[in-house]
Amino acid sequence: MKRRDFLKTSVVAGAALSMNIEGLSAALNNPETAAAAPDLVAVMGGEPEVMLDRALEALGGIGKFVKKGQKIVIKPNIGWDRAPERAANTNPDLIKALVKRCLNAGASKVTVFDHTCDDWQKCYKTSGIEAAVKEAGGIMLPGNDEKYYKSVTIPGGIKLKEVKIHDALLEADAWINVPILKHHDGAKFSCAMKNLMGIVWDRQTFHRGDLQQSIADLCVWQKKPVLNIIDAYRMMAKNGPQGRSIADVQTPKQLLASTDIVALDAAGLATFNQYAPVKLEVATVGHIGHGEMLKLGSTNLSKLNIQRIKI
Amino acid sequence: MRVNDDRKDREFLFPDEDEHSRMKKRSSVKEKRRKKPLNYLKGLRAMLAILFFAPVLLYFVDFAGALPENVHGLLHLQLVPAALGGMIGIIVLMFALAFVFGRIYCSVICPAGILQDIINRVFCIKRKKQKGVMRFKYRKPMNMFRYALLTLTVASALFGATTLLLKLDPYSNFGRIASNLFRPLVMWGNNAAFHALEALDNHSLYPVTVKTVTTAGWAAAAIALLTFIAMTIWRGRLFCNSLCPVGAVLSIVSRYSLFRISFDAERCNSCGSCERSCKAEAVDSKRMKVDTSLCVLCFNCTSTCPKASLKYRFAPAFPLAQPELNVAEASHTKGTVNSTTSSRRKFFATGATIAATLPMISSLARKHQEAAATSTVAFDSTKDAVDYNNLGPVTPPGSMDLERFKDKCTACHICITRCPTQVLRPAGLEYGFDYMLRPHCAFVSSYCNYDCTVCSEVCPSHAIGGLSIEEKHTTQVGIATFNLNRCVVYTNETDCGACAEHCPTRAVHMVHYKGILTIPQVEPELCIGCGGCESICPVRPLRAIVVVAHKTHVKVAAPEEEEVEKIENNEFAF
Repeated sequence: MKRRDFLKTSVVAGAALSMNIEGLSAALNNPETAAAAPDLVAVMGGEPEVMLDRALEALGGIGKFVKKGQKIVIKPNIGWDRAPERAANTNPDLIKALVKRCLNAGASKVTVFDHTCDDWQKCYKTSGIEAAVKEAGGIMLPGNDEKYYKSVTIPGGIKLKEVKIHDALLEADAWINVPILKHHDGAKFSCAMKNLMGIVWDRQTFHRGDLQQSIADLCVWQKKPVLNIIDAYRMMAKNGPQGRSIADVQTPKQLLASTDIVALDAAGLATFNQYAPVKLEVATVGHIGHGEMLKLGSTNLSKLNIQRIKI
Repeated sequence: MRVNDDRKDREFLFPDEDEHSRMKKRSSVKEKRRKKPLNYLKGLRAMLAILFFAPVLLYFVDFAGALPENVHGLLHLQLVPAALGGMIGIIVLMFALAFVFGRIYCSVICPAGILQDIINRVFCIKRKKQKGVMRFKYRKPMNMFRYALLTLTVASALFGATTLLLKLDPYSNFGRIASNLFRPLVMWGNNAAFHALEALDNHSLYPVTVKTVTTAGWAAAAIALLTFIAMTIWRGRLFCNSLCPVGAVLSIVSRYSLFRISFDAERCNSCGSCERSCKAEAVDSKRMKVDTSLCVLCFNCTSTCPKASLKYRFAPAFPLAQPELNVAEASHTKGTVNSTTSSRRKFFATGATIAATLPMISSLARKHQEAAATSTVAFDSTKDAVDYNNLGPVTPPGSMDLERFKDKCTACHICITRCPTQVLRPAGLEYGFDYMLRPHCAFVSSYCNYDCTVCSEVCPSHAIGGLSIEEKHTTQVGIATFNLNRCVVYTNETDCGACAEHCPTRAVHMVHYKGILTIPQVEPELCIGCGGCESICPVRPLRAIVVVAHKTHVKVAAPEEEEVEKIENNEFAF
């Protein structure tokens, strides 16, 4: 073998090894978009359904995340007994569209739930999400009874080692995390990572034992969302997480999506700061930094391949 | 006369029959009638009872809110809550019913009465008729006892001690039985069905947890149910004619009722089956008298009588009516005109007394209300430590004042069963004997929903008075009180803020503490005492933030309307 050939092959092999396998398989499946598949997509200026479709298209289509016959769980934020205009819960139009896309992609079952703060029946109804999900053909499950939760261990967690997680998620083949962008008086900022607190039963252990670290620890759980979508059509700029009046709401008309939950929260925080009266540093929102430390993703947005779409 | 009527009927029905066969048929029909006389009234009574009872029972056990909200309208017909709520119209209606028809209330409207009938029915199953259905005998009314107890109950209620009324009111006892015993059974049944359906991947049901049944509630309900069972088996409607204040007060009116069951002495053959079938022990077959102060109009006697001697007739007690049908009655009243006039006098006297005293209860309560409105409570901002051993009950929004609430609430537990967040729980002895079984906001794992006024809508006695959503938003039932030295942020130096998250008015909010840490602060003027903060505080065993109840609720200003500029932005932030 010639030295040149040897070098050539080793370079190719090295490149192949360094490539991430998921990316490679995606590239093989979809050679056109794979080259440009962004780490993060940001869409602005459309209705929730339109923005969702543009984001999914940029990411390589819903089929990349949802396979035929899979049981899918969608986890919005439905924490409060507030109407969609108050921006306390994820936009019902977005959830409706997403349930439809999942079913169209061949999902055998699409389940939606949240462990709400206010009375769950009131939250499901007032948020408009129950009606939206049923209309789209999904299943709405309650999350407010301990009977639904089973204990799992988090081997990589620093403070949180064991937690009770909703059965629907344990059974699911894949799940999608769909938070809304909000100010949050407890965790400072509520977005993709914070939204995971709605999948667990005993949240008081989070508050007792270092809230910010526990949120990051929960994101380490092996069954990570296949996709995170931030609903920033409306957002709660202050008085979060439940808001006091319509005056807390701003309307950025944006949607951000990524598989990198830390990067997405960093991008969400930047968007939040454009509208919020009190700006927040990444360092202030402890869980984002803790997530980066746990190698869940990167807050360095300048290093990421971001696709920005204006409608 | 009756034979003629019968013949006419049969001629009308079978005009082609010849005389002979007609005679034969007639005698056989008469045989049948003797065995089972037609009695529409008993059927009508049973049907009406079911129509009243079924929705009320379902409303109490309906944990899923499946029934329409307006079913609670039926509860407002209950006499004790109506009296406490000062609903003159209902009171007049119920007395008018009793005066015209007798104690039909006890057999149709009162759920505890119908519950006793059901117990009796169950007891009679598989028992020989003589031992089951026909086990009663006439006893003299315990007038001294029941009216003395009634007087004591009413008098103590007038002086603001409604404990006795709470224990004796039939509707409230039924409510406690339904909500503390029947409801959990239904919920457990639901959970069993849920698990069965879930295995089939059917998600139409959801599991529920019984949270609102406390030891006191459970025990009171069990005692009441056992009392009903024992008294019913022993002597039928004994409760209604001895302990029950509603039975006693209606008996005063019903003894003069216009319609009543009475004997036709000509027909009676003194077989005594009427007496043995009477659950109320009101039929004295030897003297051929029905004591209408005891009779609850179940119509068992009229349906049992083989001679159709007992009938429900228009037969006023006063001589102004014609006693032509009432032979037995007439023979008794003959020569005792004096007693009739004196009884009339008694009637008017008692009627006037009742009419005068009932609104007094509500007017007393109104006094409390006024006192509540004029009193001013100063906020004590310096007090940051809570006397955990001496916390009063947080009464539901709309109850206005602790004393007023105690005067009006008879602990029927309908608010507890309808509260969507299950924050209302029956008290034990923690707030004293006179608050026992009454609902209080227990911020153990839930809180009072900001946009909910269900308890004030369903309360039949208006102990929890009507509140609009706006009024609720400005009613302070207590103040969240923060104990810094227990707070997670202070003790662990980590973020928490669960209390501030759950505050709907932002009365509890986070302020700068140390570095990037924030710590809760309470603005008492904004707090409405909903307990969101207390219910979610992770600190144990004693929580770092607790709602200290007001004895008298306070009106606070509505949160200020803010003008916020809408920010327009056409560029991404990153």
